[in-house]
Amino acid sequence: MNWLITTLSSTVGRKFVMGLTGLFLCFFLVVHLAGNLLLYVGPEAYDHYAHTLHEQKGFLVVAEVLLFGAFIVHILLAIKLSRGNYAARQISYAKASSKKESRLVANVVAPEAWMFWSGAVVLGFLILHLGDFKFELWWGTSLQAIDSPYDKAGVILRNSLRLFVYTLGSIVLGVHVSHGLASAFQSLGVNHPKYTPCIHWCSIAFGWIVGIGFASFPVIWSLTESAAAP
Amino acid sequence: MSTAAAQQTLDSRIPDGPIDQKWTQCKNEMKLVAPNNKRKFDIIVVGTGLAGASAAASLAELGYNVKAFCYQDSPRRAHSIAAQGGINAAKNYPNDGDSVYRLFYDTVKGGDFRAREANVYRLAEVSNNIIDQCVAQGVPFAREYGGTLANRTFGGAQVSRTFYCRGQTGQQLLLGAYSALMRQVSVGKVQMYPRREMVDLVVVDGNARGIVCRNLVTGEIETHAAHAVLLCTGGYGNVFYLSTNAKGCNVTAAWRCHRRGAYFANPCFTQIHPTCIPVKGSYQSKLTLMSESLRNDGRVWVPKDPGDTRSPSQIPEDQRDYYLERRYPAFGNMVPRDVASRAAKERCDAGYGVGESHLAVYLDFQRAIQEQGRHVIESKYGNLFHMYKKITDENPYEVPMRIYPAVHYTMGGLWVDYHLESTIPGLFVLGEANFSDHGANRLGASALMQGLADGYFVAPYTVGHHLASSGLKPVTTAHPKFKETAVEARNRIERMLSVNGKRSVDDIHRQLGQIMWDNCGMARNAAGLNTAINEIRNLREEFWQNVRVLGSGQSFNQALEHAGRLADFLEFGELFAKDALQREESCGGHFREEHQTADNEALRDDEHFAYAAAWQFQGDGQEETLHKEQLTFNEVELTTRSYK
Amino acid sequence: MISPAHHNLSLTLKIWRQPHADAPGEFRTYQLQDVSPHMSFLEMLDILNEQLIEKGEEPVAFDHDCREGICGMCGMMINGQAHGPDHETTTCQLHMRRFEDGDTIVIEPWRSRAFPVIRDLAVDRSAFDRIIQAGGYVSVKTGQAIDGNANLIPQQDQESSMDAAACIGCGACVAACKNASAMLFTSAKVSHLVQLPQGAPERKKRVLSMISQHDEEGFGACTNTYECEAACPAAISVSHIARLNREYMKAMLTSKE
Repeated sequence: MNWLITTLSSTVGRKFVMGLTGLFLCFFLVVHLAGNLLLYVGPEAYDHYAHTLHEQKGFLVVAEVLLFGAFIVHILLAIKLSRGNYAARQISYAKASSKKESRLVANVVAPEAWMFWSGAVVLGFLILHLGDFKFELWWGTSLQAIDSPYDKAGVILRNSLRLFVYTLGSIVLGVHVSHGLASAFQSLGVNHPKYTPCIHWCSIAFGWIVGIGFASFPVIWSLTESAAAP
Repeated sequence: MSTAAAQQTLDSRIPDGPIDQKWTQCKNEMKLVAPNNKRKFDIIVVGTGLAGASAAASLAELGYNVKAFCYQDSPRRAHSIAAQGGINAAKNYPNDGDSVYRLFYDTVKGGDFRAREANVYRLAEVSNNIIDQCVAQGVPFAREYGGTLANRTFGGAQVSRTFYCRGQTGQQLLLGAYSALMRQVSVGKVQMYPRREMVDLVVVDGNARGIVCRNLVTGEIETHAAHAVLLCTGGYGNVFYLSTNAKGCNVTAAWRCHRRGAYFANPCFTQIHPTCIPVKGSYQSKLTLMSESLRNDGRVWVPKDPGDTRSPSQIPEDQRDYYLERRYPAFGNMVPRDVASRAAKERCDAGYGVGESHLAVYLDFQRAIQEQGRHVIESKYGNLFHMYKKITDENPYEVPMRIYPAVHYTMGGLWVDYHLESTIPGLFVLGEANFSDHGANRLGASALMQGLADGYFVAPYTVGHHLASSGLKPVTTAHPKFKETAVEARNRIERMLSVNGKRSVDDIHRQLGQIMWDNCGMARNAAGLNTAINEIRNLREEFWQNVRVLGSGQSFNQALEHAGRLADFLEFGELFAKDALQREESCGGHFREEHQTADNEALRDDEHFAYAAAWQFQGDGQEETLHKEQLTFNEVELTTRSYK
Repeated sequence: MISPAHHNLSLTLKIWRQPHADAPGEFRTYQLQDVSPHMSFLEMLDILNEQLIEKGEEPVAFDHDCREGICGMCGMMINGQAHGPDHETTTCQLHMRRFEDGDTIVIEPWRSRAFPVIRDLAVDRSAFDRIIQAGGYVSVKTGQAIDGNANLIPQQDQESSMDAAACIGCGACVAACKNASAMLFTSAKVSHLVQLPQGAPERKKRVLSMISQHDEEGFGACTNTYECEAACPAAISVSHIARLNREYMKAMLTSKE
């Protein structure tokens, strides 16, 4: 097991595991987003999906343990790495400026430069999100009374704090994965002139899809609030 | 001439027997150090270029304790790294008739018959081992599609024997030697001392037993003792201020050894490389070489009309003078460096020079691009073209390059015998720092060959022989000689700091460079050389009265480093001019205007000057004594070099 | 054709001055007139130093040697960019025609815990040597070599290996990286050797010990921002870092040591 400890304490090994867990989490995002899109199909479809999912007890336990594990490892390593990276510079530059050419929009956003902070925002969003949907904290008894998952989602998403946090969180998540996905491939050693450009663009597209996809729910629900509200 | 030629003969220790058996014979006769005893010997290697790094690594691999020193922050930065074109070897892979003998012959002829035959033959003999050694280290030499090693042609040869790594051959060979050196550092056999400058040699009982060096970071004067000292400190081209050498290259280590008794041979033999980027302005700090390999495809020309100020592309073919092709139809643009340089100077002196300064000629790739396609030219010379554009802001794919000769390599150096041992026993001199292999002119792609031959394949044997046969007594740095030498070094530094005059070190160095270039450059004459001797003496005096070096000796003080180097150049420059003055002939890079043929070619005088001039230091203000090592040519017939 | 006539420049230089490693440093501002656009950046600093010496102020210390872009000795942060604004260019090859009259130029040393400042703009990069010592070589003694043509090396592999071997060890990758990571440097050596048959026998040991040394020196991790590649004067590609990652995990998972 010595080698495992060595790996997890080396910069390359840590990044490798960051990449692995990141890819797994991206896969989860795809499944999660696909499920959520059923919200647009209608209450029956969404509720059916939610009930079916919740009936798979065994699978859920395994999935949740895996997800939780991946999150924890991803976060702990991020903290470890960032502390090391911060210490490595020691004194910051009075003036710093990128030499990368491919930086038009990205020059402002520069997702790769803010992975730790975008990750931290996503974590905050995640905690709120789990509190809302999984543990139904801070809603008192108001959610317990609602039976349909679809309706529950509606209540949560129409909350004005949620509108703000969920929208921001989703967009930051999009930014995070737009670099994270391609970066994971690089950290795992996948780099080839034939495929790398494709991975790069797919990663950016994935970021947009994730960002817009997840942000669409609070935005659309809050827009439909006045129209749909009785 | 006031210098008296000493009668005492120098023992060059050339083994008997036929030339192709000499080295084998020598190796068979040399004494060996038993494996267990090797770790009892300490060896100092100064300089970590090709010669130094390869010697230090090879000696450490054998089991000796090596201490290696360099002035740079890492051994990987020695100026061997800047060699571009390639390295020669007599592999005959292209099947074009090459052989050890031909490489030997070309080198002796290229050196205008002023090199020692036996040394050159050995060089050619081990050249093949060098390629194998470098390949084994992971040097990524250019390859053919089938995976075999590729070759290209180089000046002064009619066969294709040059191995190369794009335009960065020196870099790759040095990194190979450096990696071998780093391996020995990691196993503890080499102690590496970067950012150290050797400021003196310690001689105990007539043997070189250690060095005094300055720690360039702390300013501390350190002493190190050993059983032998290897000087691998490169050339002295920076005596001209402007040269293609790195800014830090200097003569200090060699000159300090000279003052301690090592003879200095042929200091006037300097190579002026024909393809350098011309001087731009008075602020210029160094000159940049464009590899000679460019002449494989580039054509050198000037306008036929000296008043022609049109841009080069507007000058039609019939109004261009491809003067190398005209004068030397057999070799054309591929004549040796000295010939190409002088021809460029001749055209510019006659008023045909181009560019703002009129001190430049064109090197044109139009035809090569038309015939071979731009991508082929790009793959061969891409990095050189890139570098040219960086410096001049002109695109050589479209406009011909402008080039002019510049000081590049120094064939002269400390005198060594066949064992590479100087006149101080235990002081070995390798690579450019010695004088032995290139005579009066070095052919392209043979400096890398010599540095590595000396370091990998000669010194490991001959140093062992010295250690086994000299019966050296133990000496530590506690020996009074070390104390004494260190005090002298410290005093000298203090003296430099205490002048506190008006002129900066750079300013005085520039003036020295101007004196040297004007009087000891591509063409020399007695009047000019005498002027140089006087002016250098005066400048030396001014240096010690009027130099301004700020700061202290106990700190990282780059101006002080430079001042120490300049002080030695100011002594050395005078010897350089004197050597050029006594050599009343033209040969290789040494061109005396008094001695030329009717069509301005060099006129050699084998009857009187077929010797290596080895100078012996006699004390400050004293005339140096000239010793002559007669060069005998048994294998190669002395002929007039012709590339026509 | 011949470049348009440029006028000489007047510049304001803000330069980091630090007398020695343990002393505090500060920026000092200097005015410099009449700078020719044809000068190299280091020649501009030479002129400044001449003027400082005349005024009795100690010149600015900066490392430099070959001044033709190959030795890797020079390097400084110029307006926040390693080696200045040009691509594939070392500080010594940067020319003043790249700047405008009236410009203010901020000049700082490489910043990294692993590269302590020696004086002013000169830093100690011996950490790089120690990374190479950890395994950046082929273990072959002088005299042990077989014929150079005994191993056939496909031209493509040799070219790709040469791409990596071109690293000049200047440290710009570390300087430009927000994590002060030396992964581009380390990967260049790993990638150079692993693509050649000569480097194959030691591939596992090499990558493991070089990375271990890299980390020990205090360099940061690679977070794939690719600023190193943009700053690298030798155009070393980040694809070598991917190769390093691959090699590392392969070695970690399969090495028997």
